[in-house]
Amino acid sequence: MKNKKCVAMLLAGGQGSRLGVLTSKIAKPAVPYGGKYRIIDFPLSNCANSGIDTVGILTQYKPLELNDYIGSGKPWDLDRISGGVHILPPYQGQDGEGWYKGTANAIYQNIEFIERYNPENVLILSGDHIYKMDYSKMIKNHIETGAACTISVLEVSMEEATRFGIMNTDENDTIYEFEEKPKHPKSNLASMGIYVFKWDKLKKYLTEDEKNPDSANDFGKNIIPAMLNAKELLKVYRFNDYWKDVGTVNSLWDANLDLLNPKINLDLSDKNWRIYSRNTGMPPQYVADKANVENSLITDGCEIYGSIDYSVLFENVLIEEGASVEYSLIMPGAVIKKGASVKYSIIAENVVVEEDADIGADPAVTGSEGWGITVVGANLNIGKKAKISANKMITESIKEEETV
Amino acid sequence: MRASAVAGIVFANSGDSFLKKLTAKRSMASVPFGARYRLIDFALSNLVNADINTVGIITKENYRSLMDHVGNGVHWELDRKNGGLYLFPPYLTSGVKKYNGTVDALYGIREFISRCQSEYFVICHTNVLANIDISAAVEEHIAQEADITLLYKKSAAVTESTDNLVLALDSCNKVTRIDFDVSVGKQAAYGLGVTIINRHLLLELIEKAYEEDLTDFFADVLAKKVRQFKVIGFEHKEYAAFLKSADSYYQASMDLLDADVRRQLFNRSRPIYTKTRDDMPTRYGTKAEVKNCIIADGCVIEGTVRNSILFRGVKIERGASVENCILMQETSIGADAQLNYVVSDKNAAVGKGMVLKGTQQKHFFIKKNEIV
Repeated sequence: MKNKKCVAMLLAGGQGSRLGVLTSKIAKPAVPYGGKYRIIDFPLSNCANSGIDTVGILTQYKPLELNDYIGSGKPWDLDRISGGVHILPPYQGQDGEGWYKGTANAIYQNIEFIERYNPENVLILSGDHIYKMDYSKMIKNHIETGAACTISVLEVSMEEATRFGIMNTDENDTIYEFEEKPKHPKSNLASMGIYVFKWDKLKKYLTEDEKNPDSANDFGKNIIPAMLNAKELLKVYRFNDYWKDVGTVNSLWDANLDLLNPKINLDLSDKNWRIYSRNTGMPPQYVADKANVENSLITDGCEIYGSIDYSVLFENVLIEEGASVEYSLIMPGAVIKKGASVKYSIIAENVVVEEDADIGADPAVTGSEGWGITVVGANLNIGKKAKISANKMITESIKEEETV
Repeated sequence: MRASAVAGIVFANSGDSFLKKLTAKRSMASVPFGARYRLIDFALSNLVNADINTVGIITKENYRSLMDHVGNGVHWELDRKNGGLYLFPPYLTSGVKKYNGTVDALYGIREFISRCQSEYFVICHTNVLANIDISAAVEEHIAQEADITLLYKKSAAVTESTDNLVLALDSCNKVTRIDFDVSVGKQAAYGLGVTIINRHLLLELIEKAYEEDLTDFFADVLAKKVRQFKVIGFEHKEYAAFLKSADSYYQASMDLLDADVRRQLFNRSRPIYTKTRDDMPTRYGTKAEVKNCIIADGCVIEGTVRNSILFRGVKIERGASVENCILMQETSIGADAQLNYVVSDKNAAVGKGMVLKGTQQKHFFIKKNEIV
């Protein structure tokens, strides 16, 4: 096996339970995003564009769709003779291997995979963030400082800092303390969940951590604190571009609509940093005479006869005449029939919204009290004239004229 | 070489002279069509949708854009260990005289044909636009024990006489006569340029035609031999367009605005594949007004667009108005420009406030990379 300078390990096994019905059948990294992407396209494309050609994808929760999507890795140029993309599910062995107990344990169980490439460094990524990042710059920085571990951080506001893992650093960007969701943050450098480790160091701490039966086998909770205790050199790498955790319904909705905001710096049309995705060969989109489309993103296979404002339509969506979609995400294959109205909602894959159904509500009308994004789970049917108010998570089909 | 029972041959340059402007720097096969395709996508997809995994493409000139487009065939799943895609540019040796007709071209690839071991060959051209169920035609060919099957479409609409191939059929769908270059006012069976032929017969006919110094395999060979062999017709009942002129190209493009045509041409069970570009979805701005348009990914639309076809990466700035146009890849239209009946080739740019008016009869054409 050819040696590699850096191997990336992508943690894609999480359930993403805060996305509710959107991840009831698929792993979070497989959740559709931005009209034609899935969340995992971002770390995979970043790897491809950063010159990292060996990526292990650690799967555990509902991997079918994710496996299918990744396939040979061809769309991301990761089908390689040496290296390439490898799906790494948990496996049985003689030494108590089994379900991944935590993020660190998942890597521990795949030491053998990493060793095949004998890398100097290992890049740890997660499959739940939207961002464009040149990992090669971070790795270069990591090599120059000689750190055992470099953690990518984002400057957030002090109020937001209470929601993140915060790195407290000295004037040389050396980390002296890590605090998970501190009540009184001392710094505003939030961990982005992207780590570069010297492989020999990481292997040592993973092996030690595994021996501790009380450990949660987690990078943030166990590995980083253990390395700090042992006075290893840990550095932060400052990233100051668009980055968003799409772990909640609201953040997923926000991150999609960010693509429509010219003030937000997330350009997916940059030819020097393409975000690749698996293409399904749909015909071009059609916008009809009676349609009205403003401020929206629409992709291949869509047929629009109704009116669309401030929304993201994924492939193969049909919007019939007189239907209206506002401030919403309509995922692949969904159908919004005549006269139906969808506002401030996420409609998952292959949902059929029957005629004159009414989903979601505008916070300016209902008031912000109890308001929220309404989510309709994949493959459901919303009956004629059914009415679903704001802030609902729909997990079963809704009958004709039913009010929820 | 192990290959499928059926193999395909595609003529990439047939009809080049009909679309002079669009084929100035490319073959007919690589003429952009339908917002995200090249004409050859239809022939290649038709073949692979019939489980044909060995396809030879014959090209004689202007094939750089074609090579760039088809690559190793991966987008049509033609990157195979067994079979796959073969590109045949002219290969001049002392054995092959010139390269001026389909007889010479087929003679030049007779080794490929005999090595393929596929029992049947489907020969196509790229100047007819259709989503054809080739499987069904091959099944019929085999069931009827035919030597040659010619696919046709009953049509009344063909007014241009050039390159027409009209079949006379008897009540058993046996072809009794083939006429070329005729103008038929009434409904007739027009050939779709898709021929199914048994391998041994194909080899035999091209060897003989080559010796006899014949030029065109279809006009000089097949048409003359109709009575010698069992030649049957197979009707394609769905949409087909014959691209014989700039007008018919424009008309076929605008046909896509009809939902019925789209349903037939983009039949979801027989998808049309093309080279992917990883563009982002198309973004409609706050002042966008789009009516009755076919639009590919990667466009940014801030202005007004009606009855038009926009290819990948087209930019239309605020206040611009585009009507009845076909704008190919990366065309950019400056603010407040007004376009009517304009066909722009790749990378064309129209400056701020420009007014370009063609008419339904005579479109305003902008060349590749041209800045107006």
